[in-house]
Amino acid sequence: MYYKEVKLSRINTALLIAIILVNGYIILLPFASNVLFWFQKNHTSRTQQLTETIRSQPGPTSAPPAENRLIIPVMLFDEAVNEGKDMSTLRKGLWHLPYTSTPDKGGNTVFVGHRFTYTNPHGVLYYLDKVHVGDEIGLTWNGKKYLYKVSNVVQVKPNDLAVEAQTADPEITIYTCTPLWLPKDRLVVVAKPETEIK
Amino acid sequence: MTEKIRFWILLALLLASVGLLLWANSLASNVILH
Repeated sequence: MYYKEVKLSRINTALLIAIILVNGYIILLPFASNVLFWFQKNHTSRTQQLTETIRSQPGPTSAPPAENRLIIPVMLFDEAVNEGKDMSTLRKGLWHLPYTSTPDKGGNTVFVGHRFTYTNPHGVLYYLDKVHVGDEIGLTWNGKKYLYKVSNVVQVKPNDLAVEAQTADPEITIYTCTPLWLPKDRLVVVAKPETEIK
Repeated sequence: MTEKIRFWILLALLLASVGLLLWANSLASNVILH
């Protein structure tokens, strides 16, 4: 009887440690990438480099990249845009929703990406909450560079399809999940053209 | 509290934690507006 109690006591200690580890993982993992962001923002010139990239005119030394890319200096974001018909494209990174417009056609061009999942803690749009009204966004599309300025940042419910609706004026919409822990809403960034560089 | 009762409480808490983890992950995986 005594040995059985001792054995159960050891199992209980192991269970307690497992609970602490699982909950520690749940609570701390969403914020792990913020440490990396803080370091990159304060100890590198990445923001400045990206800002110069989106403002630079294409020329002999700075030809626009062949692939479509979205650059958001304030969140240290420089990623290729992936095209695809279904949600599996999200595994590659940033996804251009195929049923929305493109920058060369005008209207609303929508990009979407994961922010945080426990199986992929550093989603492509993890830092989208660092973007504010007035921040610049650069986009290279079919060899042409576009410069946008953020005009609106909002949170919507996951069934608010108005975010993807077509617009008369050209704009880009980028959205992801929010908040990190319990992603019940969507964080939406809308940007309007500042200029078309070329 | 006997060790046996403590065992069942801890086991329930562990399962609840794992359930919470899976639920939060499934919510985040469904990012597209629908």
